Amino acid sequence: MRHVGAIAGRELTALFVSPAAYAVLTLFAVLAGFFFLSGVLQFQEYVIRLQSFQAMEQLGELNLNDHVIAPFLHVMSVVMLFLIPGITMGLFASEKANGTQELLLTSPITIWELVIGKFLAAAAFVLLLVALVALFPGLLFLYGDPEIGKTAAGLLGLLLVGLVYAAIGSFASSVTQSQLIAFFLAFVLLLVLWMLGFLADLGAAGGGAGGEMSGDLLRWLSSAEHFESMVMGLLDTKDLAYFGVMTLGFLTLTKAAVESVRWR
Amino acid sequence: MIEARGLSKRYGDLVAVADVSFSVQPGEVVGFLGPNGAGKTTTMRMLTGFLPPTDGSAVVDGHDIFGDPLAARRAIGYLPESPPVYPEMSVEGYLGYVAKLKDVPRAQRRAAVDRALERCGLANVRRRVIGALSKGYRQRVGLAQAIVHDPPVMIFDEPTVGLDPTQIREIRTLIGELANARDGKARTVILSTHILPEVEAICRRVIIMHRGRKALDAPIEELRKTGSLEEVFARTTAGDVPVEPAA
Repeated sequence: MRHVGAIAGRELTALFVSPAAYAVLTLFAVLAGFFFLSGVLQFQEYVIRLQSFQAMEQLGELNLNDHVIAPFLHVMSVVMLFLIPGITMGLFASEKANGTQELLLTSPITIWELVIGKFLAAAAFVLLLVALVALFPGLLFLYGDPEIGKTAAGLLGLLLVGLVYAAIGSFASSVTQSQLIAFFLAFVLLLVLWMLGFLADLGAAGGGAGGEMSGDLLRWLSSAEHFESMVMGLLDTKDLAYFGVMTLGFLTLTKAAVESVRWR
Repeated sequence: MIEARGLSKRYGDLVAVADVSFSVQPGEVVGFLGPNGAGKTTTMRMLTGFLPPTDGSAVVDGHDIFGDPLAARRAIGYLPESPPVYPEMSVEGYLGYVAKLKDVPRAQRRAAVDRALERCGLANVRRRVIGALSKGYRQRVGLAQAIVHDPPVMIFDEPTVGLDPTQIREIRTLIGELANARDGKARTVILSTHILPEVEAICRRVIIMHRGRKALDAPIEELRKTGSLEEVFARTTAGDVPVEPAA
């Protein structure tokens, strides 16, 4: 595993000498600022309205965690769904297009070292995105009193969702040599994964035979479901296991796809 | 130093390389010739561990390519047909990265990169970005990455293709120097090319591939007795050596 650092380091440097990383970061920061501000303004308006109605009971139930931070984290998880494929699309596809794959596969490194090195570079970028997101709830701690545990669980959830996205993006990049195809493949996979919960709800509404079991399966597979419970402050091993299984599963698929050059 | 035993590569019914065996001794420079599609690149890729052979095996510097693939790969410096460079990296940054991948110990890495830069005439462009270099320089960077870990075995796939005559001469001289470095270590070079004078200039032995098979394997001296290399090449690759389809 001693080559992992070298591979991750080169990948991160490559990311930051290209404009793509800065474009993604800028877009991400702008969107985060916009959604956070609109969330806070909505909350403020809501508070003022409740005060003018003297609705003390409802006013007491209002809190920053459920009404500002949770919706904000939700929106940002959707933004990541669009942006992370832009970061991962080049991981393996560009090596194939460059011909540098031949250097990597004839070097004394294992394919796991390669896959993990690349994934760690993407993971570092996801961590940076989550740190950017964390700044905004951080502001609320200066001016209000949200619960720190609940906020931290939500941010951890966002990080774990981001890592699953990065693993899926790596896989998409490993099956093609076109970065454009890698981007769209990752995006479609992520979108489907995210929407599985809705599909399950649709199936339940239809009420077909055996619908319940497949509905449970779909719901379990859906990233949004597990993220949801973390945002509500629930740290459940079931959810942590889900994120671990998905990340490792897609990294294993990535390894198989990279290796498949040798099978042909 | 290199021992290929019955190397074969089949893609479905297509036989790319069939039962190729040869051995190359330390200190030998072997020219690997053959028409396009004869299986030269495939054979080289099998030796370097990029492609596994369908049948047969090979031993590189005492390491079996199946038994101990990492050690075998460590012993090889390989320049593929197009130099495997990252356009956004600087020349020395790239060579430092390759040195890490090839397990050059940390303490020797700087010296290894400096030596490769020096030998390939890249010292004056060491801080330049590879993407901004001319084709000739990029090819030299490709050569530099193949020798940065000072491997006992070097495999070059058409190292002079697409270069101008001056650059071709420079690269050719360089390869000659690499093979005959005066530090007492015996190095082996396999060189594939279409330029016959190149082979006569730096190789002592030629292997000619034709339709996936080894059609000729002889020292240059011996071939000169029967005619020019060009005639030998034409004679060897004109005959229809049939390649039976995979069983």
